[in-house]
Amino acid sequence: MKALEALSRHVQDERLLDACLAVRQGERPDPPVAEHLADCATCRVRYEELVQVLDLVRQEGETEADAIFTPERLRQQQMQIARRIEHVGRAARVISFPGRFVRRTMTASATPSASRWVAAAAAAGLFIGAALGASYGWGARGGYDLANDRRMTPVATRGTAPGEVAADDAFLSELELALERPHTRELRAFDALTPHVREIRDSQ
Amino acid sequence: MSGDLRPVPDRTIDAAGVPEPAARGRAAAVPPLSDDTRLAVAIRSFVENGQMDEAREQFSELVTQHQRRASRIAYQYLRDAAEADEAVQDAFVKVFSHITSYREAWPFEVWFTRILINGCLDRRKAQMRRDRWMAGAEVSSADEARVSAAHPGDDPEHRLLARERRARIASAIDRLDGRQRTVFMLSHYGDCTPREISAMTGLKESTVRVHLFRAVRKLRGLLGARS
Repeated sequence: MKALEALSRHVQDERLLDACLAVRQGERPDPPVAEHLADCATCRVRYEELVQVLDLVRQEGETEADAIFTPERLRQQQMQIARRIEHVGRAARVISFPGRFVRRTMTASATPSASRWVAAAAAAGLFIGAALGASYGWGARGGYDLANDRRMTPVATRGTAPGEVAADDAFLSELELALERPHTRELRAFDALTPHVREIRDSQ
Repeated sequence: MSGDLRPVPDRTIDAAGVPEPAARGRAAAVPPLSDDTRLAVAIRSFVENGQMDEAREQFSELVTQHQRRASRIAYQYLRDAAEADEAVQDAFVKVFSHITSYREAWPFEVWFTRILINGCLDRRKAQMRRDRWMAGAEVSSADEARVSAAHPGDDPEHRLLARERRARIASAIDRLDGRQRTVFMLSHYGDCTPREISAMTGLKESTVRVHLFRAVRKLRGLLGARS
């Protein structure tokens, strides 16, 4: 009975964690908890184990991040931030349109006969190009090989340029929204049967 | 996403991180301004008076003070050095752009971290979406190589063990519920008190403590079970 009473007096895990956090912040833990930890070996061991786990997690995380974000990288980051905020708060500069150049160009090409000749030459060039393409390009390849055209093969990879990533995100959002709509619910069974790129990659 | 900690608008801090009236009331007993808060107030004054060059100069000092901690937090969230780098840059740029809306009722650190974690949450959401639909590039191996290169004196066995230990911890943290993960990271990598985390996330302080306790209990279970 006395042992049970002693057990019930042990510090709860929540209070041990509070004590641990208080010490880390440079504060004093709750006095009753501190007193109990001084007297009770069991709770002291529990407390030390908790501190050990938290220290390990923290130390590993910090070591890893600090190895990646070296002083040099942080310096570059700072320079990048400075560049990005350089134009914050400045009014946008309006570049004057080169009016004189445009006037001269317009005058030069304004002659009706000249523009007619240019249009005729462009049409003739287009016609010759199309004719040559039809007789050589398609014949030489023996027809258009859709399967071997790599441009048409969808390759699902992560975009690297910021614009590309934003476009990907927008597209995927639309895709997810579309899947949520009621009229596509019927297609989910087919979706479940379709292998995903990620699954294939993981199985390799 | 369950990890989205954006509070409802009337709880604590608005989209730009400005404390709402209720939160201002709660912060009545705030201790004297910290150095970074004073600096942020000075930058705000410069911007309001149109002295942008002075503001930028002072801001670089603020960046120096916070960028290491910010990078640690962002990296632990995103597990990708390039993404973390961009998230930190975005957070600082956003802070500078919205410095006029900063109120010293809350320490600058709280305001800044709030902006940073919101950015990280957005990026993490996008990351998860990309992973769901696309074959992601293996970026973590490059980061891992950097970590190994930082300790050239270690023998290969030691490096391998350290790598496994890091992977185990990262996986355990990743298995935490979204809010638990955020609260844990802010506490352990951001050195934030439960009260500060409460201000950053809009959660009650008691809720923060509960999340933190559950996170630690789960982590101990996950790490202890495998070791």
